[in-house]
Amino acid sequence: MSDFTADNGPAKAAGKSSLFTQTARTKRRNAAETRFKVYGIGAIALGLFFLVALLFSIITNGIPAFKQTFVTIPVELTEAKLDKNGNRDPADLAKVTTFGYKPLVTNALVAALKEQGIEIPFAKEKDVEDILSSSVAAQVRDTVLANPDLIGQTVDFRLLASSRVDGYFKGRVTRDSLARDKNLDAEHLDVADAMVKAGLMKTSFNPAFIFGSDASESRPEQAGIGVSMVGSFFMMMVVLVLSLPIGVAASIYLEEFAPQNKWTDLIEVNISNLAAVPSIVFGILGLAVFIQFAHLPMSAPLVGGLVLTLMTLPTIIISTRASLKAVPPSIRDAALGVGASKMQSVFHHVLPLAMPGILTGTIIGLAQALGETAPLLLIGMVGFIASNMPDGIAAGFLSPNSAMPAQIYEWAKRADPAYYERAWGGIIILLLFLMTMNIIAVILRRRFERRW
Amino acid sequence: MNDMRIVRKDVDMNDTKISAKGVQVFYGDTHAIKDVDVEILDKTVTAFIGPSGCGKSTFLRCLNRMNDTIDICRVEGNILLDGEDIYDKRVDPVQLRAKVGMVFQRPNPFPKSIYDNIAYGPRIHGLAKNKADLDEIVEKALRRGAIWDEVKDRLDAPGTGLSGGQQQRLCIARAVATEPEVLLMDEPCSALDPIATLQVEELIDELRENFSVVIVTHSMQQAARVSQKTAFFHLGNLVEYGDTEQIFTNPKDERTESYITGRIG
Repeated sequence: MSDFTADNGPAKAAGKSSLFTQTARTKRRNAAETRFKVYGIGAIALGLFFLVALLFSIITNGIPAFKQTFVTIPVELTEAKLDKNGNRDPADLAKVTTFGYKPLVTNALVAALKEQGIEIPFAKEKDVEDILSSSVAAQVRDTVLANPDLIGQTVDFRLLASSRVDGYFKGRVTRDSLARDKNLDAEHLDVADAMVKAGLMKTSFNPAFIFGSDASESRPEQAGIGVSMVGSFFMMMVVLVLSLPIGVAASIYLEEFAPQNKWTDLIEVNISNLAAVPSIVFGILGLAVFIQFAHLPMSAPLVGGLVLTLMTLPTIIISTRASLKAVPPSIRDAALGVGASKMQSVFHHVLPLAMPGILTGTIIGLAQALGETAPLLLIGMVGFIASNMPDGIAAGFLSPNSAMPAQIYEWAKRADPAYYERAWGGIIILLLFLMTMNIIAVILRRRFERRW
Repeated sequence: MNDMRIVRKDVDMNDTKISAKGVQVFYGDTHAIKDVDVEILDKTVTAFIGPSGCGKSTFLRCLNRMNDTIDICRVEGNILLDGEDIYDKRVDPVQLRAKVGMVFQRPNPFPKSIYDNIAYGPRIHGLAKNKADLDEIVEKALRRGAIWDEVKDRLDAPGTGLSGGQQQRLCIARAVATEPEVLLMDEPCSALDPIATLQVEELIDELRENFSVVIVTHSMQQAARVSQKTAFFHLGNLVEYGDTEQIFTNPKDERTESYITGRIG
């Protein structure tokens, strides 16, 4: 025996191949495997590169939207101008329009500049007011109407600078680009620079971008995403309340109770197809059915929610059925074996086990709906539609509003580059929401996952 | 020998529990069970043996209408439980399954606590009036399942955390907790190691005091050890049915003899 092994040792008999040398076929197979691994790594690297590039561009473009240039100056609220009768009657106070407030603010700015010794390089001193946003008069007026006791005092106001001045500090606007711009002159920028030195002007965090409402095309510095965020919230409520019970009930019936025949096959195929229908088709369906036929209010989050429910249902049904299928049949047998009815076996045993999958599918479906734009444009939930927060829950569902992605689209298509920056900022907020929802989905899945 | 004498006495004394006549089962176009007649006695362990695919599990699942859950399955003939046809239109399979409990091939405890595993059946059938009642039922069932001593200190622990043999005894305890009259066991030991198998077999012998037990098994030794009656199935036919002793020592049909001696199967 030992002789035999010795013979077959290092010196191989002719015609027998050694294990130490690779045959041509093995080499080819190994090469193919290596090539495939390289392709795979390449694909992943490319994907990661695009992801990083995308995130980088979103963050660099979007972060400036969260900061805004403010001018802080004391404004004298002259009683003679704002309340001639001196009785603080709200009706009288409301009669003074922003045109009445505008000179106060302009005078305050001129006075502040003079006090700091900043030269005003304009023939008419009043022209320096273009440094401020055209919204400042309204801001002062709102403050006064909310608190009439301020009249007669000199109050420090934190006023928005115009979007051109803001863009100058963010690098968007240069003296050259202002040469073709009627809204602002290069001299304004000189004044702005001097104001920064004097501490009158500062770029700081702007909560109004997160909580405010959209503004007109001429006041990008004032626009915020808050109101459309509320619109999105009410829409998601509608989607959640409708699509979760309907979707889960439909999937439980199809998966556990429905007989296997050509009708259920047909329904199954159609649900899968519905998941692939372009969202704009659901939009036009919603326009025809909910608005033109059922006469629900235009642009209302309720209608948006209904349309998005139609869109989300197939996603929820498919994921719910998949998680019901994943529950081992032995659990159903066990329940039936001790005399549980079909429904008891489903609700007591199968559904709790499928819950993490169902919740994950629902949240993913909601996240999809949250990012959907096209159907909302068709039912009129465009960006500029709401300028105030809805008052009350019913108004939240029924009064015209927008949604975050529609708002972002609206900003992106406006001409002023200041809006472009806000579109990127809006995308950051939207992505934060989506990431939060996905993280919740992952946590729920980890938390409720059970082994059997 | 002493044991066998007791067996014979039991068998002689007890009545028919389940009586099957001319049972045919079809899976779509497949004729799975062909014209089976069998009388299953009360307080007796009846073993179904036979090669794989011979239909013994299918027939077992007919006895508590578990085959109802399979769409393409069709059952013909009569199966009477205490003289009542269980396939009658008026019979609710849920009520039937409370009377005819089942233990499956793989231990399948619910992913809940040990207590809840046992308590589930009594709860849905309303067998307990209050918590104390339920505690008592759970303890009794776990004792009958010969697992009480092992789990009495951790009734809140998940049933899925037990070992395979313990899980199977838990499943048996769960099945007896609803006080069934017949207990069906579909290869209850096939996923267990020899020691766990021995424990379950001893348990089956004890269960005979209260129930009629029908067990499907691949192991002829097991059939010989635990059963008093044995039915041999082959290709969907019930080839031979009789006292276990007679089937294993003096089979009448040559197919039975071939199977028992290991020539077919």
